[in-house]
Amino acid sequence: MKKASTAAVNASAGLTADKVSLAVDLAGLHLANPMMTASGTCGYADEYADFADLSKLGAFVTKSITLKPRKGNEAYRIVETRGGMLNAIGLANVGLDVFLADKLPVLARMKAAGPRIIVNVAGHSFDDYLQAASRISREAIVDAIELNVSCPNVSDGLTFGTNPDLLKQLVRRVRDALRPDCRLIVKLSPNVTDITQTAGAAVEGGANILSMVNTFTGMAVDIWKRKTRLANGTGGLSGPAIRPLAVAMVSKVYRAVAKPAGVPIIGMGGIQYWQDAVEFLLAGASGLAVGTALFVDPATPITILAGLRDYLATLGCRSLSEVVGSLSLPGDGPACDQ
Amino acid sequence: MVERNHPLCRAHYLLRLRLPADFPATAPGQFIQLACRRPDGAQTSEVVLAHDLEWEPGKAIAFQQPELLGPLALLRRPFSLAGRGDDERGPWVEIVHRVVGVGTQWLSRLKVGDSVDLIGPLGNRFQLPKDRSLGLLVGGGVGLPPMFYLAQALQAAGWQAVAFVGAQARDLLPVNLDSSVPPATDGQPALSVQEFARYGLVTVITTDDGSLGLKGLITEGLTRFLKTLSPAQRQQAVVFTCGPNGMMRATASLAAAHGVDCQVCMEQAMACGMGTCQSCVVRVEDAANPQDRTADGRPWRYRLTCTDGPVFDARQIVWE
Repeated sequence: MKKASTAAVNASAGLTADKVSLAVDLAGLHLANPMMTASGTCGYADEYADFADLSKLGAFVTKSITLKPRKGNEAYRIVETRGGMLNAIGLANVGLDVFLADKLPVLARMKAAGPRIIVNVAGHSFDDYLQAASRISREAIVDAIELNVSCPNVSDGLTFGTNPDLLKQLVRRVRDALRPDCRLIVKLSPNVTDITQTAGAAVEGGANILSMVNTFTGMAVDIWKRKTRLANGTGGLSGPAIRPLAVAMVSKVYRAVAKPAGVPIIGMGGIQYWQDAVEFLLAGASGLAVGTALFVDPATPITILAGLRDYLATLGCRSLSEVVGSLSLPGDGPACDQ
Repeated sequence: MVERNHPLCRAHYLLRLRLPADFPATAPGQFIQLACRRPDGAQTSEVVLAHDLEWEPGKAIAFQQPELLGPLALLRRPFSLAGRGDDERGPWVEIVHRVVGVGTQWLSRLKVGDSVDLIGPLGNRFQLPKDRSLGLLVGGGVGLPPMFYLAQALQAAGWQAVAFVGAQARDLLPVNLDSSVPPATDGQPALSVQEFARYGLVTVITTDDGSLGLKGLITEGLTRFLKTLSPAQRQQAVVFTCGPNGMMRATASLAAAHGVDCQVCMEQAMACGMGTCQSCVVRVEDAANPQDRTADGRPWRYRLTCTDGPVFDARQIVWE
């Protein structure tokens, strides 16, 4: 069935899906394919091992690690909304020391099977970020650090993520403190008026890669109790509901900041099907992360791979880079650059 | 595949699912995560583009906006196992669901032969200590299903057991009654509930409004029964409970007051059920974490209902 339909579709292109390469190079971070887990939706390491073949991921991204352990917010921590999920976990994690002792060995085993390892780091102060990021980057198995400067669920978590000057300083200092060949990813908050400003600041500070977007601040209300459904009041909205918002932001940042600077983007926000992933690629992302959909099916990023291959073969493209950013927008004119 | 899906009362349905032969062993207390939507085709890339002329009967046409065919209920819904069997056609499990929203409404419309997508079994199980032999099963409303499964296991383990079931009213009680054995209004156990009687368990029924059995809260029936036990019998007993938090809390404190061990099957809003999303936290006593303490000084830490539970020792729970 699959062969027949692929062959039919690709008659004109003469390309079959097995000839398509999904390998990507994100600023020197070489991945077998663009699919990653989104931080905070896949645990520390192998929690999903019974439910998906994690060795097929391009990269695994851990939940946020902080210098000290955090117990997180009170329940309720999540609520489902139309097409989305609102969460206020509060960066619950075991802290740097336990992470290094207990979780890194598991990540090392995972890396031996294929995926690159990216550790997400969160903090409240320059010192928090610097200590945690530089310590983790000393571990050779860690290919990249992703800075969470945009968690909406902790009291002062948005400060770095929404203030371009602070963000630039933070990125510069963390970049200087990292192992030189460890890539630095900055995860941007969508909760800003103009995301190209924070994206630009991150790039000026020395970010090697941008990842976008984190969750949107939202609120759901129990109308009979007249209280918020989440104990924290507000939470971060994720899932299919935010995809159009995220794609628009990727497109904007790609054109205004990332492409001119030669900085790759990891796109995320509501990716559940391969078609969603393609939207992000066309808008300018070269890496792709799946978050909320992992809760429904941990194998989602791996299932998407087959769709991406078939899509590229259908277009007659041999590699992913041929379609990245190839979206034509109104006003581009007929000779939209590819 | 759906094998049975019929109403037990005004709000609850019994759903029996026939499973693949390699489905793992299960135990009472464990749960499954059900996708409350059609296993959908939006994910597939094996499609023919609409303009392609080489279409053959049976091939899927690529939809313009497959996302709009997608799930109304995004996240899976967790359900405690209400029973498990293995016969010549392979394993099956049963769940009981109450129609409360878009996901469970979809479940209620499933027909025999329909396919559903599930992950499981998940979570831990009720413990049956070797030195005990009397089970007191206390289940309220939609907390009853794990008690059905536990009754099955207790019989197999050779325990004596009594079930206490409660609901707001008769038509919200998700059980099949035996019309020849009317439940007592004074809290006397009887073989009146088929789900328990089939495993030899007598049942005490309470309803808040007195429309069936003893009028009052489930703890009223349990209190009356505990008073009839000798100290030696209490030593042998374990209370197992599942239901609304207030009911479990009252049951746990009643058990503690009578010196009887109690295991609670907790429920909390969860997304993944696999230990990653960190949503389904409960406060559990933990001497190794002195920095977080209750008002009366008990150290506690958050545990996950999905992977650390859902069954916990009631004495360890810090009720909120």
